[in-house]
Amino acid sequence: MKPPRLLLPNTIAPAIAIVLALTLAIALGSAAPSASAETLTRYQATPASKVTVHGTSTIHDWKMEGKIIGGHFEIDSNYPLETSAGKLPNLKVRSSAEVSIPVQSIKSGTKRMDEVMLEAMKQPEFPKITFKLTELSPRTGEHKPGDPLEFVSKGELTIGGVTRPVEMTVTMEKFEGNKLKVVGTTPIKMTNHGIKPPAPNIALGLIKVGDEVKVSFEWITARKMEAAK
Amino acid sequence: MNTPLEPFDFNRREFLRGGSVASLAALFGMVQTAAQDAKPAEAEKAVTVTNTGVIGLGTRGREAVTVLGSLSNGRVSALCDHYPSALKRAGTAAPKAKQYKDYRQLLADTEITAVVIATPPHQHRDIAVAALAAGKHVYLEVPMAATLEDARAIAQAARDAGKVVFQPGLQERSHPQSHFLLPFIRSGGAGRTIKARTQWHRKTSWRASSPNPEREKELNWKLYRETSPGLVGELGIHPIDTINWFLGQRPKSVMGFGSIQQWKDDRQTADTVQCIYEYSNDIHLSQELTLTNSFDSEYTMIYGTDAAVMMRENRAWMFKESDAPLLGWEVYARKDSFYKDLGIALVANATKIGAQGKNPMEEAPYPNPPLFYALESFLFNAHELTTGTKDFIENFGADDPKALADHLATLKLLPAPKWKDGFEATVVALTANEAVVGGKKILFQDEWFHV
Repeated sequence: MKPPRLLLPNTIAPAIAIVLALTLAIALGSAAPSASAETLTRYQATPASKVTVHGTSTIHDWKMEGKIIGGHFEIDSNYPLETSAGKLPNLKVRSSAEVSIPVQSIKSGTKRMDEVMLEAMKQPEFPKITFKLTELSPRTGEHKPGDPLEFVSKGELTIGGVTRPVEMTVTMEKFEGNKLKVVGTTPIKMTNHGIKPPAPNIALGLIKVGDEVKVSFEWITARKMEAAK
Repeated sequence: MNTPLEPFDFNRREFLRGGSVASLAALFGMVQTAAQDAKPAEAEKAVTVTNTGVIGLGTRGREAVTVLGSLSNGRVSALCDHYPSALKRAGTAAPKAKQYKDYRQLLADTEITAVVIATPPHQHRDIAVAALAAGKHVYLEVPMAATLEDARAIAQAARDAGKVVFQPGLQERSHPQSHFLLPFIRSGGAGRTIKARTQWHRKTSWRASSPNPEREKELNWKLYRETSPGLVGELGIHPIDTINWFLGQRPKSVMGFGSIQQWKDDRQTADTVQCIYEYSNDIHLSQELTLTNSFDSEYTMIYGTDAAVMMRENRAWMFKESDAPLLGWEVYARKDSFYKDLGIALVANATKIGAQGKNPMEEAPYPNPPLFYALESFLFNAHELTTGTKDFIENFGADDPKALADHLATLKLLPAPKWKDGFEATVVALTANEAVVGGKKILFQDEWFHV
């Protein structure tokens, strides 16, 4: 297994990283030495997450649900993930995330539909949906203290072996001391990922599933350790 | 052409006939009770398919082979019987399956994740316990064993088994018809339950022949006291379990009678049996089984203060009393006549116009055999449990057994009996057989049901 990557995405040169780190330290008004500015806090996926897929079809709307979201999330230890903040600092946040969802853990509640979806998503070949975060920036503007913090996340979403860039708004909120809840919603077109919307022959004849689905998630992670470089 | 409208397409003549029969029947105050069925699974396999081994390839084992082949989530990957021609015969229905003479070899095969055990009950114990120890999902035919001691040993192994499914072969518990009737009976749809009656009538010797005398003795385990659970243990166990389940209780006592009336060969097992089971509130179940007369075949009745409910070949009807309250839906339901009585079909879709005018005696509400629904549940649940455990551990580790158990509890499984249901039904049925053999009344002791 590859050791977890704790710092910046590969695309950013070390020089830029130093500048960014300094900017960050200044922007946060932090007196912390630069070593601490290099520290990332790691949140590891824990049970109790939820992923929901809302879709349409020629017969009725449908919904599938999963309860497993694995992976980890890392964020600059100096970044104040406190909902009490009045305004979020306007900067890119040093962070990384790798998220993974087992395709077979997403269920419709009926045996036949689960079979159809697993087949459409070529599950034996591509058993996981993955997301890799490339950029995270806070939503600027006023923040009402107590509300979850809003960020714009950019990343790469891989479904059915096909990777596409995706941008979505997510909210983050700490709870129970060491836990972090990340919530978001994004539309996904199956055909963008090489998935043919299923048209199974079930019960009342031919049903055609709509190409676009809405994926919502509530990802629960917990702080496990302070990672330092 | 297949369009969404097709199922609603019916011809006018059929509609008129159906309508008139229904309204005429409604005048006489009769009503059939059944749940809508799923389309039979295609032969093509889903990605959720489970590699299954069938151990014991007699009539029941071969039926399991056929059913597994017809299930989208079933695949017969291995066959096992120590008798070569049984293996060969079953092999024609599952040509790709590996063949084993010894069940231990099959259990050592890591590609097999689930087994169906269909050997005679007196051979169940070693196989079932070893299968659970090997981490296989186990479907075990009932009675779970031929003795209480063996049944308890299997129940203990099932209770202590890890993340595997153990499903006793009480197939009615997975049948959609039962899950339609259960709330109907329990909610008082037939009024307060007064009594119950069940029968199994056939004219058949129960004897199998073979040119090899040793094999013939082995084939006829049902005829000799040492190996046979009797008619009541072998066949009566299913309706006993249905009544226990519907009434939500176990009998307090059983009285049995048995005799050999017709098949006077060297057998020791009665060919004609009667049992009376006593439940609380003075409710009694009378059970009759015979190999000497086929009249009226097999069915189970529950009598209530407002109606009698007949369960027959996975269909059910309600016979209402004239002073029973009007339920409403029965006016539109399908009706069938039984001599001077009219049966109201107890079917979930009985009120649909599409069902009108069709003869329910010809048209099966459930096209598949009961074993189909039982094995469908077994394989589905086995797959859910296996993949649910794997996904959880891969993402969150195995350090927190409680969190894993909580996650597994959220899985939506198909209805299936648990080891406890199988054990209790086995204790009742084997005890009833003891009552038949001894011609006596036996009071059930609570500790017999402890595992």
